[in-house]
Amino acid sequence: MTSPDDKKPDEGAADVPADAPPPADDASPADEREPPRRMRTAPPSASPYDELDAVPDALDPPPGWAGESPHDAIFTSPELWGGEAEVRDNDYGPPIPTRFPDVESVASEVRELERRVRARLTPVFPLEVRRNPPLRSILRRYSRFAMRDRSAVVDDMGRDPVYASRFMPALDFLYRRYFRTRCEGIENVPARGRAILVANHSGALPYDALMLMRAVEREHPARRQVRPLLEDEVFHFPYLGTFLNRMGGVRACPENAERLLADEQLVAVFPEGIQGIGKLYRDRYRLQRFGRGGFVKLALRTGSPIIPVAVVGAEEATPLVARFTWLARALGMPHLPITPLFPLLGPAGLLPLPSKWRVRFGEPVSLSSEGGTMDAEDRLLVARLAESIRTQVQDMIEHLLAARGASAFA
Amino acid sequence: MTRADGDNGARARAPSLQARDRTIAITGACTYLGTELIKLLEADPRYSRVLALDIRRPDLPPDLIKTEHHPIDLTVPTVGSQLASLLRGAHTVIHGAFLSFPTHAASWAHELEDVGTMHVLDACAQVGPSRLMLLSTTLVYGPARGNPNWLGESAPLRGLPGSRYVTDKVRAEMQVARHAEEHPETAVTVLRFAPLLGPTVSNYVTRFFSRPIAPVLMGHDPLLQFVHESDAVQALKRAVDRDVVGPFNIVGEGVLPYSTVLALMGRVPLPMPHFVARRLYRALWATQIAATPATFLDFLRYLCVADGSRAERELGFRARYDVQRAIQDFLGVAPEDEPDIARAQG
Repeated sequence: MTSPDDKKPDEGAADVPADAPPPADDASPADEREPPRRMRTAPPSASPYDELDAVPDALDPPPGWAGESPHDAIFTSPELWGGEAEVRDNDYGPPIPTRFPDVESVASEVRELERRVRARLTPVFPLEVRRNPPLRSILRRYSRFAMRDRSAVVDDMGRDPVYASRFMPALDFLYRRYFRTRCEGIENVPARGRAILVANHSGALPYDALMLMRAVEREHPARRQVRPLLEDEVFHFPYLGTFLNRMGGVRACPENAERLLADEQLVAVFPEGIQGIGKLYRDRYRLQRFGRGGFVKLALRTGSPIIPVAVVGAEEATPLVARFTWLARALGMPHLPITPLFPLLGPAGLLPLPSKWRVRFGEPVSLSSEGGTMDAEDRLLVARLAESIRTQVQDMIEHLLAARGASAFA
Repeated sequence: MTRADGDNGARARAPSLQARDRTIAITGACTYLGTELIKLLEADPRYSRVLALDIRRPDLPPDLIKTEHHPIDLTVPTVGSQLASLLRGAHTVIHGAFLSFPTHAASWAHELEDVGTMHVLDACAQVGPSRLMLLSTTLVYGPARGNPNWLGESAPLRGLPGSRYVTDKVRAEMQVARHAEEHPETAVTVLRFAPLLGPTVSNYVTRFFSRPIAPVLMGHDPLLQFVHESDAVQALKRAVDRDVVGPFNIVGEGVLPYSTVLALMGRVPLPMPHFVARRLYRALWATQIAATPATFLDFLRYLCVADGSRAERELGFRARYDVQRAIQDFLGVAPEDEPDIARAQG
């Protein structure tokens, strides 16, 4: 019995029986051109012998062998195959007849795989059980239940769009109804491209980071997302850090910031850091030291404009009347905030008071005119630039405070 | 795992690799990566001889022509001279004799991983092969508060203090780095693999995620990273084919929060405070119920995610399985079988 598809003009393959093992030169580099797993879409046939004979070869592919099933996109989409096993239409390589794996060799491959899998079984949890877990339907239903508020894809830095959109109504309520936020100068935020928002930090809890994100996302015509950089104490704080990370927050460090800016995103930094959150109510709106000017170095290295931002209202929303340090150290926190409501009302005391908020975006400061990327190591220059940004933010805060009037809540 | 999986590009771009007389020596041939690499090398005409060095014969088909198995026990003090005579004439030495599980026999593991690396490097210093490759893991970066989201190859190897499993690997890396400085005639490549996940590979990660219940440290949900087993093998083959030097992170596409990984796998999270989890795991490890010691809980607390862009740039390696597909393949579900996951993605 000979297979008509095996006929090669110069080899006289007619005397090779179909059930003989494939010739040794079959493993030549020629079959490397073969698109992956094409035999999967071989047309169905009546008997297994027909299938053996009717296996098509590269010269006459059956019409529509690819693109028939929606799952064939898996074999042709370059992002799944890294662009290497790309299959183009009507491109079947040079006319070298290629044998396709017959049913027997596929079956032996499967047996080999099974044997290998068996040999690697761990005695603790057999693979059969892993593949067919008991109560599988319950597990599947549980998995769907557990995935209900999260996305199976997060971005590079851990922002989960489904999780974030779940909290949007609550944040919008806070932004519009509760804090009645007024946003000024949003036109200073560029519609595209990298930029660094430099804002003051205040209040016992980082509500200002969330409101700054909402302000840009709601008011800016391009609906841009802001990635706030969070200090270690906030980022690693149980629950709070995880929550802010899923909402878009990122741990503050030069590598992360440079990665975001290289991706042309908007980054918000709070150079006061944990000192800004930890300042007492009597020191409200008095800017602390602006770190070591890391944001200036970042702007110089990446060539990003700096946009000073002033946020007013956060100090009154969660006023910090005292700090517990010794107890907080035992709990692994920088300090334990004491607000008028917090320890008294329990966790409900962490809710903010309804102060009236104002957010002002200043004119972008482009540092490229001050010097090239070489100047990031010039400490005097960095300190001078950081001080000038700090003065701008402080001026904007004074301006907003004067415009606000006597009451912080009306 | 077919041969057509992407050597064409490498061959076209690296014509110097047409040499047909290369001998490759692999320590740890019984590990998953070692065995799979031997199969690929056996099928590649550019390599003439493969030395499989391990205690027992690797689980290979019987009809291999190029591969020779030599029983080598790296924990024997006199293994050095035996290794040196075997490695004579080898073009590339691949050192992959590392454990895929943390073990209770910590001193034996130390002899195998740390001292065994010393034996291999001593033999390499005598013989002077052209290339030396170390198969390491991204665990050597260690979970730390101060880690950036994506660790480059130049990040410090903090390791995991208190875990001898990770410490031995860090020390092996340090020895290899010193060897690279002292022997510039040997091109040293270090491949740091993210935790391998897949249907056939067996390591502490697959054991951990095979349990129906998984511990969660309350309030902590770091991003996790895996590499699919077949991607890891492809990256290893590419690194063997190309004359690249230095450390490379071999990682899969994308990251997922630990809680999402558990939800996709249908595992039940058991939240507990850190000090409770640590004590519980110490007890479970002592009674050999848990697959990992208590120190590994730090991986569920802090970030340890490596950046694979250097491998993509210089090695041309890009993972075909992203993290969701690696999880699906590990579970043994095809995407079409599991509409829930597909729906959750959309």
